[in-house]
This record gives sequence, structure tokens and C-alpha cells, in this order.
Amino acid sequence: MSVVALSEMLGASVRDASGSVCGRLREAAVSPQEHATRVAFLVVRTAEGDRMLPAEAVKSLGATVRATTAASTWHPFLGFDGVLLLKRDLLDQQIIDVHGRKVVRVNDVELYSNPTDSHLTLDVVAVDVGARGAVRRLVMGLVPSFTLRALLEKIPPRVIPWQYVDLIEIDPARRVKLKIAYEGLSKMHPADIADIVEDLPPAEQKAVFEALDEEVAAETLEEIDPEVQVSILESLDSDRAADIVEEMDPDAAADLLGDLTEKRSDEILKEMEPDERREVTQLLEFGEHTAAGRMTTEFVAVDDAGTVADAVEALRQFDGSSEAVATVYLTSAGNRLSGAIPLVRIAISPPDMRLQSLSEKASTCAPDTPEKEVAELFDKYNLITLAVADEHGRLSGIITADDVISMLRNG
Amino acid sequence: MEALLKQWRTRIVLFLAVVGPGFITANVDNDAGGIWTYSVAGAQFGYTLLWAMIPTTIALVVVQEMASRMGAVTGKGLSDLIREEFGFRVTFWLMLALVITNFGNVMAEFAGVASSLELFGVSRYIVVPVAAAVVWLLVVKGTYDSVEKIFLVASGFYVCYIVAGVLAHPDWRAATFAMVTRPEGTDVINNYGYVYMLVGLVGTTIAPWMQFYLQASVVEKGVTIRQYSASRWDVIVGCLFAAIVAWFIIVACAATLHTAGVTHIMSAADAAQALRPLAGEYAYLLFAAGLFNASLFAASILPISTAYAVCEGLGFESGLDKKFHEAPVFYWLYTVLIVAGAGVLLVPNFPLPHIMVLSQVVNGVVLPFVLIFMLLLTNDRELMGTHVNSLLFNVIAWVTVVTMIGLTITMLVTQG
Repeated sequence: MSVVALSEMLGASVRDASGSVCGRLREAAVSPQEHATRVAFLVVRTAEGDRMLPAEAVKSLGATVRATTAASTWHPFLGFDGVLLLKRDLLDQQIIDVHGRKVVRVNDVELYSNPTDSHLTLDVVAVDVGARGAVRRLVMGLVPSFTLRALLEKIPPRVIPWQYVDLIEIDPARRVKLKIAYEGLSKMHPADIADIVEDLPPAEQKAVFEALDEEVAAETLEEIDPEVQVSILESLDSDRAADIVEEMDPDAAADLLGDLTEKRSDEILKEMEPDERREVTQLLEFGEHTAAGRMTTEFVAVDDAGTVADAVEALRQFDGSSEAVATVYLTSAGNRLSGAIPLVRIAISPPDMRLQSLSEKASTCAPDTPEKEVAELFDKYNLITLAVADEHGRLSGIITADDVISMLRNG
Repeated sequence: MEALLKQWRTRIVLFLAVVGPGFITANVDNDAGGIWTYSVAGAQFGYTLLWAMIPTTIALVVVQEMASRMGAVTGKGLSDLIREEFGFRVTFWLMLALVITNFGNVMAEFAGVASSLELFGVSRYIVVPVAAAVVWLLVVKGTYDSVEKIFLVASGFYVCYIVAGVLAHPDWRAATFAMVTRPEGTDVINNYGYVYMLVGLVGTTIAPWMQFYLQASVVEKGVTIRQYSASRWDVIVGCLFAAIVAWFIIVACAATLHTAGVTHIMSAADAAQALRPLAGEYAYLLFAAGLFNASLFAASILPISTAYAVCEGLGFESGLDKKFHEAPVFYWLYTVLIVAGAGVLLVPNFPLPHIMVLSQVVNGVVLPFVLIFMLLLTNDRELMGTHVNSLLFNVIAWVTVVTMIGLTITMLVTQG
């Protein structure tokens, strides 16, 4: 078993079963539908056009590629539709390094060449993103190959194993055929995905957001720079955009929709589920820089006549963000705010304890409180959450500390 | 009527949202070297070279429009695209050449900064280090938006030259007619110096770095193809303004220096000095201040634009949002260009003219490649979709490219 670099293979002369040179090697293709890493065929440029040399017919590789079949049996190469072309799709292109969490440019592709039976199997093992691949491509053909090998040995390799590589393909149909699902990317923290997405050109940003799971896409979108958020949502079709916006925190969703043109935000709202739409529309009506504009309507509120067990049950049912559960709010008839209990006190109290006996006075502010004053309240009272109540004392939403931090950072 | 007003208002708002990259790039082109060339053209040949301004401006618009359109359509920088379409080896040599020629340009800009303030009696041992520090900090500590605003203001300062041109009391009628009439007297045309000057005039207008800078800033600004028609106006207005400024510099020098027979001008600062007794104190001050502004402005843009282009093309981490240890090549390249570019001016007896000639030669060699790559890229349907060049555009662009190549070769041959 040995490692070969794609750049060493390309341009090699190809001899068929008869031993005569019939063309030059131009491409290597992987067919992800059949095997995730194995080279399915090589593309040979012959006098009659580009032909596909099946991998099973490759006897040896090197300055010359030897095949075990006659060139006349090789079928014409039909294009890149269902196959991953290593040169076209990888060499010099940008990929996502899932392990290193960044976008990198590929200098070379490394393959394992393994003699099996009467032919070679070639498997993609890694992409080279370091100086070794760069130097190889720069001086290859200019110095003797043994000198080059000796030189390259001295350069420490910088490669990304193939399983940590996520390809960026902007054509949705081809993405499906090549089985590009951004599995590696989806497992990363949304904030890291956001950093990566911000480094990509618009078409590639769109591609990632089309392919990501809706929930991950929503969390990622919340972490992205507002200007980029807008351009991404503008580029997606409204159906997909609505699916993602539904999964976002209502306050973040409202902020974002508020930044879009009215026409675009209406289109997206129209595609959303009625419940989510109602929440977001309500939030949209408040100014963005007020308490109501910043608040989320996803919070835990329990009837103040209940017990700790009721509160725990409400927490179980809750599917909003984990920042919002830091405080459990108590309400009386007509959704009037009557108190608040920190999560810790619920956790350490027996299930049959009455909530009223744990209740503290809730910190509140009016919906039209400017965000600067909101921040002052958080600072002064060392809050984790702040309730927003209307003039009748009804609880309309809460602001969490992380909202305040991003509010302060964005000035 | 009201509807019409509203429509215009929308258009103006759209335009203001994307104005910047095209305007700034075209104006930076009137840098220390450019101003010197225009001054000499006016001083030696009076109004007889003014006709060249029209075709040159058209060529400038055509080339800049391609860069700007590529940025808006692909969202990628020019060096990214060259790397992706033409491979590593080509990109490597191109980037190496770009660093060399831009390094020469950076030196020229700092020389402009130094000589313009020396006119006011400030020593270069103070000016150059301060200017280098200001440039470094401005770009590293500023955000794209704030830096762009400063650059736009700097572009506005070029009005200095227009005012200086007016103060020189030129013969307006002659200057205007010179743009559309054949220069009188065949002895002028057959003059070797005249052709040489013409080549220099055109050559100073379209430079490789501009294409990289313009496309990168269109991308950075997030201009998309939907906003593009406004962006195109940014390019056109920028090029026109830059051309008008150049016209006034030529006219100012023609009306004074040429008339008085002062033709030996060694630098842009020289031109300002020579204007003093002929066009008056104000014209002199405006010329000197304009040179300072132009040189500092270009010195701020060239190093960072080079660092971006090289790192993106060769795959190094880049961007001012990265920390120094995350993008070491980017920051080092940027810093070395500034420190070395400014530092050589403080070395006594440094062979600056020789280095500048070398940089000009490399510039001339790189330019055809960059232009041809741009043409190939803007005609690539897979990349540009429906936004490929139209036939008419291609014709103008290829004529421009072939002329540029021809003129550059002529210049290189005559220089050597």
C-alpha cells in the first residue's frame, strides 16, 4: 500500500492492454453512490475525446498508467453530474475542515493505492492543505522526481483526513447525488458553523443553509452577523427561509425579519406556521431597540397556586432555549405576573412544596423600556432574566442575559 | 412628478449604498506616480496629449467594470478565481509578481508622502515613520465601513487639483478642443518623446493591483448582483472623476510650465515647486497638499490589498477579523510591505529609481496576464451565468487588452 498524490497522477500517459500510449490522465472520479472514498474510474484524454477507464482495469500507476483492457472498450466520459471529480471539485477549491473548524483551500489530494487481485484500488484518504502539496505542484516537472521526493520528505505534512472534509457544492441536485449532507458541519457548535459560513461567498452560504438541518440552521443563523443574515435569508426561497425562521428564537426571528424588506418578510411570514407567525408578528410591532423588541415569548410560566411538581412538569414540556429556563415565572388569573423562582430553588425543593412559599418578587420592565435601561437593570440587580409586563401587569415575555450581552456588543 | 422624484430618490439611495469601491479605486490610481506622469505630460507637450484622456477613460471603465461585476456575481476575490480556474502554479507566480510590483508602488507612495511634506519643510525622518504608523493602525484598527468613509473623503480631496487647474488660468478653449482634434503639426506625432509619454500616460492608468483591490472591496462590501446596476455607476462615476482630475493636472502644467518652457520635472513634488513662481502660491500649496493626500491614500490601500490577494490566492488565512497568530502570513506580509516600503526612504543613497524601474517592468509583465485572466473569467458561463460579457463589451475589452499589451511592450522595450 502506498500514498499517491493526485497531482502526481494527472498528466501521466496512459497505455492500454496493447501497451501503446492512448492518452493522458485528466481526472479521477469517485462515485459516492457506490463507495464513499473509492475511485470509480479515471478520465483519459484520447484522440477520440475523453474516455472513462474503469478502476478495475488499472494495473499500475506512476509516470505511466497501465490498463488491462483495450482503449476501444472505454466508454466516453459523460460529465460531472453524478460523480465527484477530484481535480475539478477539490484541487484548488475551498472545503470545510470540520476538525479544524475553518474553510481551507486544497493544495493536493492524497490517495491510497492498494494492489488487489490483478488491479489497483485507489481510495481518497486526505486532502493536503499545507506547504508539501504546494511545493510539489510548484516544482513538479522542473526537478527530477527523486529530488522532489527527497525535498517533500523534509516538509512536515498538513493534511485533513477525508472524514473531516465537507465539500461545498452549490448545485442542490448534485449535492444530493454526491451525498453531501454536511454531517460533520452539523455536529459543530452553531457559533463555529457561523464563523465558517461568514467566510464563504454568498452562493456557498446559500448552499450550506439549504442543506443543513432546520434546527441547526436556525441556531447558526442566530449567531451570524446581521448583514450576512439578511443576505442569506434573501437568497433562500421563502419556503425554506420560513422553515428556518420558525426554529429560531422568536425575538431573534423578529429582529431578523425586521431587517428584511417588508415584501420579503411578508413572503416568509406567509409560509410560517400560524402559531410561530403570531408570536413573531407581535414582536415585530415593537421597536427593535426596546425591551419588547428584544424579549422572547418562549418562557416558563406556572400558575402560582401550583406546586414544585407542576413547575417541573412545565419545565419538561418546555422546548425553548435553555437560557430562558433560568427563572420560572408565576402567574395568577389573567396571566398576571405574581412572582418568580430561580431554577435552583425548584431543583432543591421537594415536589409537594407550594410555589407561593418559594416565590420572590419578579424584576420587571415595561415593553417600551429602551434597551439601554434594560441593560442597566441587568447590571444593577445582577439579573439572569428580566420579565416584560404590560400596563396591566400581564407577562408578555422575558429578556435573558445573553440577549443583553449581544445587545451591548452590537452597540 | 412626485412619482418621478420618489423613483430618483430610490435610485440615489441605492447608489449611496454601494458607492465606494469603484470610486476609491479609480481615485487611488491618481497616485504619486500618476500625478508625476500627468505633470510631465502637460509640461512637455502642453495640451497635445489631452485627446488620449477619452480612450484611456473608456478602457479604464471597461476593465474596472469587469472586476466589479465578477465580485458581485461570484462573491469571490480575483485571486481566488484565478486560483480556482487556472491552478496553483500560475497563481503562485502571479502573486509573487504582484508582491514585487506592489512593493515598488508602496515605496513610490511613501516617497510621495516624504517629498510633499518636505516642500513644507518637514524632515522625512519624521514624516515617513509617522505616515507608516498611521497607515498600519488605520487599516488594522479600523473597520471596513469606517476606513471606507475615510477613503471616500480622501478621494474628495482630489478637488485640490481641479482648483489648482483653475488657478493656473489655462486657455479653456484650446484645452477643450485639444481633446477632440488631432494635435497640430506632424513633428509632434513623430517625436519619440511624445510617443513615449503617451505610453506612460496610458500605462499609469490601468494597473494590476487595482483589479484585485476593486473586486475584493466589492465582495467585502457585500454587493450582490441585484444591486449591481448601482455599483456599475460607482465605477463609471469614479473613473470619470479620476479622469477629470488627471485632465486638470495636465492642463495646469500645460498652461504654466509648458508656456514658460519648464519641461524638466523629476517628481510630482518637483512639479509643485515649479508651479510656485508661475501659477502662484495657492496653486503650489494645492499641488503639494494634493500630492500628500494622494500618496498617503495609496500607501494605505496597496499593502493591505496585496496581503489579501496573496493570502486568498495561496490559501493562507487572511482577514483583519483574525488575530495575529491565526493569520501570521497575512499580517507579516502587510507589515513588511509597509515597514520596508517606508524604511528604504530613510536609507541614504538607496537606489530607489532602479527599484522603481524594476517594479514598473514587473508591472508591465503582470498586467497582460491579469487582463487576459479577467477576460477569460468574465466569459466563463459556468462562473458568471447570464452575466458574461456581451459581444460589444468583449470587442472593446479585447481591443483594450491588446492595446495595453502593445503599449506596455513598447514601454518596456524603450525603457530597456
